[in-house]
Amino acid sequence: MTPPTDLIANPDVLALELQAASGAEAIRELHARLGAVGGGVTDAPRFLADLMERAAIASVCIAADVALPHARTAGVGRMVLAVGRATQDVAFDPEHPGVRLVFLIGTPKAAVADYLKLVAGLSRLLKKPGVRAGLLTAKTEAEFLALLARGAESKR
Amino acid sequence: MKAVIDPAELLLRRLMRLLRWRLWIQEKLQPTEWQVTLLWAALAGFLGALSSILFTGLAEGVHDLFGYSGNGVGVVESMRQLPWWGCLLVPALGGTCAGLVLLLGKHIAPGQSSTDYMEAIAIGNGHVPIRASVVKSVAALFSIGSGGSIGREGPMVQLAAVLASLIGRWRQFTPPQLRLIVACGAAAGIASAYNAPIAGSFFVAEIILGTIAMESLGPLAVSAVVATLTVRVLTSAHVLYRVPEFHLNSAWEMGPYVVLGLLMGVLAPWFLRSLRQAEGFFVSLKLPLVARLTLGGLAVGAIAINVPQVAGNGYSVVVQILNGGLMWKVLLGIAACKWLATMASFGSGAPGGVFTPSLFMGASAGYLFGMAVHAVWPTAAQDPRAFALVGMGAFLSAASRAPVMAVIMLFEMTLSYDIILPLMLCSVIAYYTARGLDTRSLYSESLKTKAAAAESVAPFSTETRVADLMRVKPPVVGETARFAEIARLFLSVRVNNLYVVDAAGRFKGVVSLHDIKPYLGEPDLAELVIARDILHEDFPRVAPSQPLAEALGGFLGIAAERLPVVEPDGTLRGSLSKGDLLLALVEKRKKPVAA
Repeated sequence: MTPPTDLIANPDVLALELQAASGAEAIRELHARLGAVGGGVTDAPRFLADLMERAAIASVCIAADVALPHARTAGVGRMVLAVGRATQDVAFDPEHPGVRLVFLIGTPKAAVADYLKLVAGLSRLLKKPGVRAGLLTAKTEAEFLALLARGAESKR
Repeated sequence: MKAVIDPAELLLRRLMRLLRWRLWIQEKLQPTEWQVTLLWAALAGFLGALSSILFTGLAEGVHDLFGYSGNGVGVVESMRQLPWWGCLLVPALGGTCAGLVLLLGKHIAPGQSSTDYMEAIAIGNGHVPIRASVVKSVAALFSIGSGGSIGREGPMVQLAAVLASLIGRWRQFTPPQLRLIVACGAAAGIASAYNAPIAGSFFVAEIILGTIAMESLGPLAVSAVVATLTVRVLTSAHVLYRVPEFHLNSAWEMGPYVVLGLLMGVLAPWFLRSLRQAEGFFVSLKLPLVARLTLGGLAVGAIAINVPQVAGNGYSVVVQILNGGLMWKVLLGIAACKWLATMASFGSGAPGGVFTPSLFMGASAGYLFGMAVHAVWPTAAQDPRAFALVGMGAFLSAASRAPVMAVIMLFEMTLSYDIILPLMLCSVIAYYTARGLDTRSLYSESLKTKAAAAESVAPFSTETRVADLMRVKPPVVGETARFAEIARLFLSVRVNNLYVVDAAGRFKGVVSLHDIKPYLGEPDLAELVIARDILHEDFPRVAPSQPLAEALGGFLGIAAERLPVVEPDGTLRGSLSKGDLLLALVEKRKKPVAA
């Protein structure tokens, strides 16, 4: 399996112009694009249901403008990551009305450690000076990916 | 972004730091359940020593009460000073008092018949009844204080075991743990009675547990050491038998020692058989309990009129033998009388032990044998006292069927290393000889009858099940519990896996400390991750109705110390500890655990 930090540098899906206005829409949009590229997703409806269920249980935001919708699900065969940047504020929940960056994660049931590694890796990446601002303003996919690649540099 | 860290987040960070510390300590020290058990074992040792000191003091008090001259004069010396009618009266009176106490005890503690600590450890569930044990010990005070030919180590060990059992029940130990802590108490009792910590641990391991696996020997050793230390600090205890230096003067001496081993191997089972026959004889008289014990005391007293040395456990005479202060004809007479007196005391049912009387028999027989060899072939037995010492060990080994314990005990009681070669050889030969002649040991008989009784009482529970061993109310978290809550719980309970249950109490999986350990410094995760995100649904589990051997399979391939006990319908019932399971399986006698 691809190490979680490498997955950050090479996400399955990169969508710099998410159209969604709500969390549910953002999840659906990224989920659909993940399904379109194929590969990791083995049971798309199941995956989506698990994502929605998890988002309904507790907040998936780690900052005012960053959300990490995720699910440990039987709907994926390997860990998958879709990264999206919204063109407008996305309301994930009442406390997080202005989300702009969305990292959608699907993890196989057994991969608890990898899931934590990926989430922690993303969290650390976004804390690096300039990264979050850079991601929000990156003009091209290459620029965006270059910033993401900094997550793979440091494995602590 | 927040410019000021809010108090909740600060608290969370502190919490995470605390948990990181706890993990660091845990990784450095690796405190497993075994190590915690050691702490309780130490407490059992301390309390056991205190109870032994108390018992010794009380026995001396009773001794004074019976009109003996006090001031630390031994029973034998007191008996010597008494007129003939006094010799008769005092042990008889002691027997009467002991009988009355036992009779009274039947009212105070009705139904508490199984009082033996060995039973509680080997075939029971580790519950040593308190009142019945105290009654028996008080009765023993009278039989011992009045000069009965019986040892005081029995009641001392019993009291120490009761206290240990109380600790275990207070801490709500599972049956295997409870049995182990009672065993620790017993080891403490032996250790403080004989000032012999190693022998104390091995006595219990070899005779009662039937294993010297480190799982049980470790706590036993800790308990015995603490007990011995306590006795040494609080009293003027010293080496039990001060002996002159012995040397193996010539290799030829080993020849007679081999013969001594054979001799003791024959003599010890004979001695035990005679005790059982005496018991049978007293029972056949069909006298009431009080009359039977009085008669036993009267018999001891009658012998003591002419041979006061038969009174008590025989300690002072052994000291005399080891210092060569007795003529062989005199010793032969004393030994024969002592044999009879012990039969009278033990046979009449006087509460007490036969451990020290066994040492007496071994010392006398060894010394007499040494004298005989010396007379015929002086080179082969230059010092007959060494034969007395080796004889004690060999007799003990043959009587108790615990040669390792016997060798160590002799060494510890005398601190004489010079005799170790003949002692080891002789003890082993005596052990094999005795085993060939008779399968019953000093302790096996009563255990066997009780085990049979226990089986007939509960024939359905022929096999211990997981439900008998599990601990109820394990710490749990809900599926939606946040990372912070999980971390807090890990900090307050010492487990490596937290069980996750749904609202209906059904087991969903575990959250592993190992998984979250690297991320304790990440406050973002604390906000984001909930229990179901990091749940191991496929964690092995056992059912309450599973037999133990089957449950062991659940631990294969995972590094967990505990497994969840889950009903077939998914309800979480408790947790099963690997330590408890191994203890239960390691115990030699796989007897049913009484409910």
